[in-house]
Amino acid sequence: MSLASTASERAQPSMLARLFARQELALLVCLVLVLAFFSVTIENFFSVRNMTNVLGQASLALTAGIGCAIVFISGEVDISIGSLLATIALPLIIIMNDTNSLLLGVGAALLFGLIIGVVNGYLVAYAGINSLIVTLGTMFIMRGGVYLYTGQRAIPDDASLDSFIALSDGRLFNIIPYSAVIAIVLLAAFGYMMQHRPFGRQIYAVGGNQEVARLAGYDVRRVKFICFIISALLATVAGIILAARVGSAQHTAGLNFEFQVVAATVLGGVSLAGGIGSLTGMALGVLILQFLSNGLRGLGLPTEWQLVITGMIIIAAVAFDEAKRRRANGG
Amino acid sequence: MSVDFLHPGEGAAIDTNVPALELRGIGKRFPGVVALDNVDFTLEPGKVHALMGENGAGKSTLIKIMAGVYGKDAGTIRMRGREVDIKSPRDSLKEGIKVVFQEIALISEFTVAENIFLEGYPTGKAGSIDWKKIRADSAALFNRIGFNVDPAARTGSLPVSQQQMVEIARALAHEARVVVMDEPTSSLTPNEVSLLFTVIRRLAALGIAVVYVSHKLDEVFEIADTVTVLRDGRHISTKPIGEHSNDTLIQDMIGRRIDNLFPRKRGAPGSKIALSVESLSTAKKLSDVSFEAHAGEVLGFFGLMGAGRTELAKAIVGYDPITSGTITVDGHRLAPHDTRTGVKLGIGLLTEDRKSEGLMGELPVYQNASLASLGAFARLGFVDKAKEHKAVQDYVDRFRIKTPSLFQQVKNLSGGNQQKVLISRWLMRGLKVIVVDEPTRGIDVGAKSEIFALIDRLAGEGLAVVMMTSEMPELLGLADRVAVMCEGRLTAIMSREEATQEKILNAAIG
Repeated sequence: MSLASTASERAQPSMLARLFARQELALLVCLVLVLAFFSVTIENFFSVRNMTNVLGQASLALTAGIGCAIVFISGEVDISIGSLLATIALPLIIIMNDTNSLLLGVGAALLFGLIIGVVNGYLVAYAGINSLIVTLGTMFIMRGGVYLYTGQRAIPDDASLDSFIALSDGRLFNIIPYSAVIAIVLLAAFGYMMQHRPFGRQIYAVGGNQEVARLAGYDVRRVKFICFIISALLATVAGIILAARVGSAQHTAGLNFEFQVVAATVLGGVSLAGGIGSLTGMALGVLILQFLSNGLRGLGLPTEWQLVITGMIIIAAVAFDEAKRRRANGG
Repeated sequence: MSVDFLHPGEGAAIDTNVPALELRGIGKRFPGVVALDNVDFTLEPGKVHALMGENGAGKSTLIKIMAGVYGKDAGTIRMRGREVDIKSPRDSLKEGIKVVFQEIALISEFTVAENIFLEGYPTGKAGSIDWKKIRADSAALFNRIGFNVDPAARTGSLPVSQQQMVEIARALAHEARVVVMDEPTSSLTPNEVSLLFTVIRRLAALGIAVVYVSHKLDEVFEIADTVTVLRDGRHISTKPIGEHSNDTLIQDMIGRRIDNLFPRKRGAPGSKIALSVESLSTAKKLSDVSFEAHAGEVLGFFGLMGAGRTELAKAIVGYDPITSGTITVDGHRLAPHDTRTGVKLGIGLLTEDRKSEGLMGELPVYQNASLASLGAFARLGFVDKAKEHKAVQDYVDRFRIKTPSLFQQVKNLSGGNQQKVLISRWLMRGLKVIVVDEPTRGIDVGAKSEIFALIDRLAGEGLAVVMMTSEMPELLGLADRVAVMCEGRLTAIMSREEATQEKILNAAIG
């Protein structure tokens, strides 16, 4: 059995080697550099208050980013999430105003989210339409629908339930915003699913090579279908938090949100081609962009420049990634 | 009730009187082709059954039906006497049919260990994946087989031979009743092949039915108990290996007589050298290939799957990069990896993959035909449409291309007529050498003879035709000289008179 034991030792390289082989480490280094730079240049940047505030701001993108990354990993894209944020705020606020019940409002929002996910997922997985086209379409349809329904006026949250308001300004132990707690719990749960549950690995396999996944007996269409439902439901959670923050259902809520999330996801090393990347990477991507934006604002740089810098960083990061991968594959 | 290579001895005894898998009257058609016609195939438990036949005989289709990749159009499938309905790969895997495909079917981003358990992850409490077990079991599996593969390696980073071993190991990680191996040794070293044979014998000893698909006669004689030969989608013979010799097996595989599909009208080839290739090698496949083709000659290249015919075709027209060697067209050196000069010097490729490398299906016939010679129709940078249409019409008439008009989308033409459009494209350019790769692939029998006549005529007009083919009758019917390839090398060149099917096949097997 000496052969077997050496083989299994080889199967477990050291923790450090595994960490270095992964791009999460590179992202972590970037994040630390960003934090270090702004801590030196900006007073009070590295304070508990500022850190937790940024975390709270990042929680929307972190939550929706989970779904975005999962859909990417399955080899598809979902850009309907921004419009979804605005859409699900309508049943949420209207039902809460009518019933004074957070539970019913959230339930209605989740039901709407579920239906949107089913529609996206069905059209992509079973009708076989390109996911960029499908979600571009539902993005326009939902935004247009919200404009039509609201007449471009905000619907205020008249119920003003304490539990709902707590979603926006409540903090666990008076330190961490509840929205960040929700994002972290969801990240941990879905991160575990992606790495340690058979379904999570099926998503990677489907995105990695659809034909191979089919030969291994996977129901490729079902896997993709479920990914779109997950994405829609997570965006719904983000939409609920956003509605709590602005205290109303806004027709402009979540405008361009999908592109912020896509940018962070791509920066986090999740490949549009499918099968590559992790939720940890996505989360680091979100945090890097969020702290960058916070820091640049702290330095007094106008928003326009933040956009330019963000764009450059994303292209540079993906180019770097691509070069690394090409080298790893030997040509 | 099951046999698991990881845990031998746990399964109950297998009843050797009932076939492990029984295919009866299997039929499968594709548009325009009957791939399988009333084929019977019976696998006994504990036996190694070789499946043989020329390219296109129907072996892959039969395997894919067993694997659930294709549905059958006719026939029944029985597992141990019980009729089963295999509609998807999942159904097939559930019945314990494990197929090792010729093309690597692994997720390259996954570790080797994860790929081995792709079909079903071992899970612990609460349904989470037991990674420890996956690592330990895959290491144990490799250890047992004797393959030296690192289970923790990222699969995509391994050489093809190791990936092939992973594929083989994967088939054994779960309960298997039937293991199908499609050309499993194509990238293994002799040492690895003998390990594989040991594994196959052990599988058979465990009562598993093994299907072994190979072109290599010596391997079949070494490992198989029974041989089934398919030809043109039909079952030809099933015999114990002891009743076969090399000759009878080849006889069964080739079978048919060369009939009058090949009217020869052209005269003897000239002596002018139109194409000269010297010591050509490529990074991926070819090594040290040298030959000359004369004006007015059809030089036929034969080789089995993976012999390197398509690679050779692409290299000599300047499509693919080469690592060493020279290509001379009509006395001028062709810089490697440069189709532009290739076309200028007068060498063109009629690709085997018409759809993705040849035609622009949505565009009309005339644009497809004139593509390579737009310069000739140009005036001040604009294409003279009248001149272009007239030139294309000439070819349509000459080659009797059946199309309602020059403006028909080329995708709506039959395969044979599409091929003629492509030939027109090159002839319009004034070619001296035309390389045709599998000129009749996907073309039905009636249209084939027209393509043959066309090739005959091209040579008659003084072109050098270099024809890559895996079809013996085509080769012997058309070629003036026959070149045979095996694993990227040229193993024989012989004249039409010297060439026999046996000689060619022997050279192709290497």
